[in-house]
Amino acid sequence: MADLLAANKNDNVTLVDALDKVLEKGVVINGDIMIRVADVDLVYLGLRLILTSVSKAEELSGKSFSNPGREFTPDDIAYIQKLQREIKKAEENIPKLIDLGSPKKTEQGLAQLVLTLLELIRKLMEKEAFRRVKRGSLSQAEVQKLGLSLKAVKKKIQEVQAIFGIEDEELNLDLGPLGNLM
Amino acid sequence: MEGLYFYCIKEKTEEHPTFSIKGIDEKGEVFTITFRDVEAVVSKVSLEEFGSSEIQKRSQEDLSWIKEKAVTHEKVIEQAMRKEDKISSLIPMRFGIIFKDEMSLEEELSKDYPKIKSVLENLKGKQEWSIKIYLKDKETFEKLIKEKNETIKEKEKEIASLPEGVAFFMEEELKEIIAKETSKELNNFAEDIFERLKDFSFDLVKGKLLEKELTGKEKPMVLNVSCLILEDRIEDFKKGVEALDQDINTKGFYLEYSGPWPAYNFSVY
Repeated sequence: MADLLAANKNDNVTLVDALDKVLEKGVVINGDIMIRVADVDLVYLGLRLILTSVSKAEELSGKSFSNPGREFTPDDIAYIQKLQREIKKAEENIPKLIDLGSPKKTEQGLAQLVLTLLELIRKLMEKEAFRRVKRGSLSQAEVQKLGLSLKAVKKKIQEVQAIFGIEDEELNLDLGPLGNLM
Repeated sequence: MEGLYFYCIKEKTEEHPTFSIKGIDEKGEVFTITFRDVEAVVSKVSLEEFGSSEIQKRSQEDLSWIKEKAVTHEKVIEQAMRKEDKISSLIPMRFGIIFKDEMSLEEELSKDYPKIKSVLENLKGKQEWSIKIYLKDKETFEKLIKEKNETIKEKEKEIASLPEGVAFFMEEELKEIIAKETSKELNNFAEDIFERLKDFSFDLVKGKLLEKELTGKEKPMVLNVSCLILEDRIEDFKKGVEALDQDINTKGFYLEYSGPWPAYNFSVY
């Protein structure tokens, strides 16, 4: 395309500009034959998935959260420490993976789909947890554990994202007329 | 049978323009058909080929075919538009218009002749330029938002005093608030830039924001504008755009501009 605007070589002219104009704009008159060009955005968005139902977050998060007055048990403390270690590990690992600069592009498509669904479930769990925390029916230890668990899952997802070179915005699905999944 | 692929309409010139490029099928010569005082730029194509369901299918599915043809379409129009250093105004057609013969093309031209003349008249002495703005550094932009938002600042302070697991919930809540603010401020920003571009432009129009897959850029597009600029204000426009670029750089954005383009956005009739 460099020769496209020979008189303005320094100007940044891209194929994108040309496509944007030629396919979208310009005068349309009734010829004898019209070649209808696909909506270019559509061509790129290969995957369209419609999720009809998602089971309740409550069922996924399992177990009952109750008993606001309960103290921290040794088990609680061990669990909390384990989660904190996991979070730290993932946090340290992410920049290294990014620096490595060789995300596994070949498996990116599948990883993106799986991670998107994981992210959806994580968000649903988080929302439910939020509701419970706000309701005030959880003990401080439970809130702490719940928060750390969710944070650990989040960090793990980010770690896998870094492995496959998937950006945050890519963890979504365009459901066409229904809008975006998240 | 041969038909005519239609690229653009221009004012008739003394000497017929010559084209070094082949037409849309990479075989047919590009030439002009004169109608009163305007010229249609066309090339011959096989009606069997271009009318076939195979081509219709490719144009719906085969992206590399679409790209290649769109670029040829544009290059032909570029050649019609430029003569040495001079840019002449013309009306570019959208991709994909074919007439079965000269007569049916002339019929269309004759029907629309008054409108064609008025569009060409309006475009005289003006050029279309494109400006696309990208969000280069989201963190910088968010930082500016955080600095002037009291609610966000207070929440941040509160979070700092909480145990990690409990803080997580507040952090997530805060992130949502920041995301909402960011998208609001991004809209304001785009509106503001659009207003500023009005100062340099005879006319301007917003285009669709293009997906990253299409732009091939890492950064998201936040504004896509086409401007119609008076020829004697092109230098002002360029200076203005470059000043604008420097200004938005400090806020985490950058822009790219290009032109002159055939007036795709300002010649609909």
